Amino acid sequence: MLSNKKRVFWEALLLTLVVFILGMLLGTAFEGAKMEKVNQYYVKSEISLMDILALNYLAETQESDCKVLVESNLALADKVYEEAYLLEKYEESGKLSENLKLAHQKYDILRTFLWINQMKISDKCKGGIDSVVYLYEFEPDDLVKKATQGVWSKILFDLKQEKGNGVILIPIAINNELASLDALLDKFEISDFPAIIINEKEIITELSSVEDLKNYLG
Amino acid sequence: MEFLTIVFLVYSFIAFYFLFMFLLLYVHNKEHFFDYPKPERQYSLSIVIPCYNEEEHIEQTIQSLLNSEYKRLKKIIVVDDCSTDNSFEIIQKFAKRYPRVMAVQTPKNTGNAAGAKNYGAKFVETELIGFTDADSYPDKDAIDKVVGFFNEPNVGAVTSSIFVKKRDKFIERLQTVEYKVITFTRKFLEFLDAVHVTPGPLAIYRKTAFEDVGRFDEKNLTEDIDITWHLQVKRWKVKMSIPSYVYTVVPDTIKDWIKQRNRWNIGGLQTINKYKKYFFRKSGMLGNFIMPFFVLSWITGLVGISILFYRLSRRFIFEFLSAKYSVGAQAALLTLRDINLTPNVLIFFGIALFAMGLSFTLIALVNARDKKEKRYKQTGVLTLAFYTIFYLLAYPLLLVFSIYKFLKREISW
Repeated sequence: MLSNKKRVFWEALLLTLVVFILGMLLGTAFEGAKMEKVNQYYVKSEISLMDILALNYLAETQESDCKVLVESNLALADKVYEEAYLLEKYEESGKLSENLKLAHQKYDILRTFLWINQMKISDKCKGGIDSVVYLYEFEPDDLVKKATQGVWSKILFDLKQEKGNGVILIPIAINNELASLDALLDKFEISDFPAIIINEKEIITELSSVEDLKNYLG
Repeated sequence: MEFLTIVFLVYSFIAFYFLFMFLLLYVHNKEHFFDYPKPERQYSLSIVIPCYNEEEHIEQTIQSLLNSEYKRLKKIIVVDDCSTDNSFEIIQKFAKRYPRVMAVQTPKNTGNAAGAKNYGAKFVETELIGFTDADSYPDKDAIDKVVGFFNEPNVGAVTSSIFVKKRDKFIERLQTVEYKVITFTRKFLEFLDAVHVTPGPLAIYRKTAFEDVGRFDEKNLTEDIDITWHLQVKRWKVKMSIPSYVYTVVPDTIKDWIKQRNRWNIGGLQTINKYKKYFFRKSGMLGNFIMPFFVLSWITGLVGISILFYRLSRRFIFEFLSAKYSVGAQAALLTLRDINLTPNVLIFFGIALFAMGLSFTLIALVNARDKKEKRYKQTGVLTLAFYTIFYLLAYPLLLVFSIYKFLKREISW
């Protein structure tokens, strides 16, 4: 009887380990597949950015079409914005590894690059589209901040829906320890977040509605 | 990995382990599940019924024992614990009519069932001594299906399947499911020599074992848990007879239910405190399985409910703030983008555990069916869903309340 009892304890342990290890392996593979998808998107976005940078370089050395520069930057910004949404959903469901969070950091570098490029294009091509840079904290503990950021995201989404190609929207998480981004934040003297920078001129740290935001646009 | 993810994974591991253990025990022992040994001889038996203000039920309890088919049921000792209603008059009426029935009264109210049980035990001179609560009704063949276990000389106590008598109210139907799961689980524990309670509705003890452990502890609110642990310490075996049925009246209001569960919890805490020195010591299954199982289930319950509350309260505050700011900014309260249908591995673990838990409950309901089952309304999906999702969640909540009372020494029946 005693050996029978002991056998059940060991059998249960063995079964639990098998199910658990299988579950963890499947879970890791599942998250890995999502990471792979995000990576593919990222590589494509990176290629697009490189292309735009090359175009910019070309624009500096010879006469080029502002329309092409603006449109290609806008298209990439829109693409990255949609990918950010997908990445956010994946991050929420990523529990076993930190890879998806690293992907977020990579995207933030890309978006910072995109912002720098947008500033360059704005200098070169006056009277183009409005640029809206949304600076927020990634995964804040403070619920007030989290809720505020959620509502600001909705307002900006509504603005983008309404203005379409008239606005380039670049959301960037500020707490990813990126030297280039930190330098930009110093330049604009922003220390309170969330914040919105419109056309590199207006800095908004209090936002009441989408209508309020529209007043700052050109 | 986040701290809460690690906690969830540890939880899942523990839950999987015990569910697998019970399912393996079921697979290995299902042929012997309903077995009960035939008695090698007819053991003499007395049954003690502690009674306090039970005028509504005592008559039927005595009658159900008088109807017992067990030939050597010598005495039915009904102990009135100074009731303030007509209980003692009813008992005396039975004593006058039936020589087997003995009406006794405690000199003063003992304040708990253990006191009345010990008082009644003084009048017992038989080999076996049984106890039945004054609101419980053993079937006529219930005792016959118990006594055979005493063929083994080291068996100190045998317990029965307890079913709910009245199943009209929703709370009674929830307890019907619960009692069946408890009955089913207790039989599994018997296969491990780890029965941890011999409940009041019907438990029969070998008189020598009963005396060996010094009778019931009158300071303990759950004397039936205490005596079983004491029997385990003294290396007496405790058995469970599934085919022996006893029907009991359960609380039919939430207030009474809370009161009863609070008493069970405080009694459990008293027992753990009393036997803590046996934790993982040489005390057989008590220290090596019963106590760790008991304590672990409580700790996991408490930690689980704390995390659940933490998550729910944060979620609630966040949703409230989001709604408030959204209304202020004239933004949509909920958009399609807010809905995340991307599953994660923890959800899969959760679903697997829920499915296994539900299967276990269903197996228990199918196996722990009593003869009178057809008389009652079948357990509905709503009852089962409520039991699985909400009823079980109430256990750790009540435990918090009980621990508070225990620490404040508010210990009363």
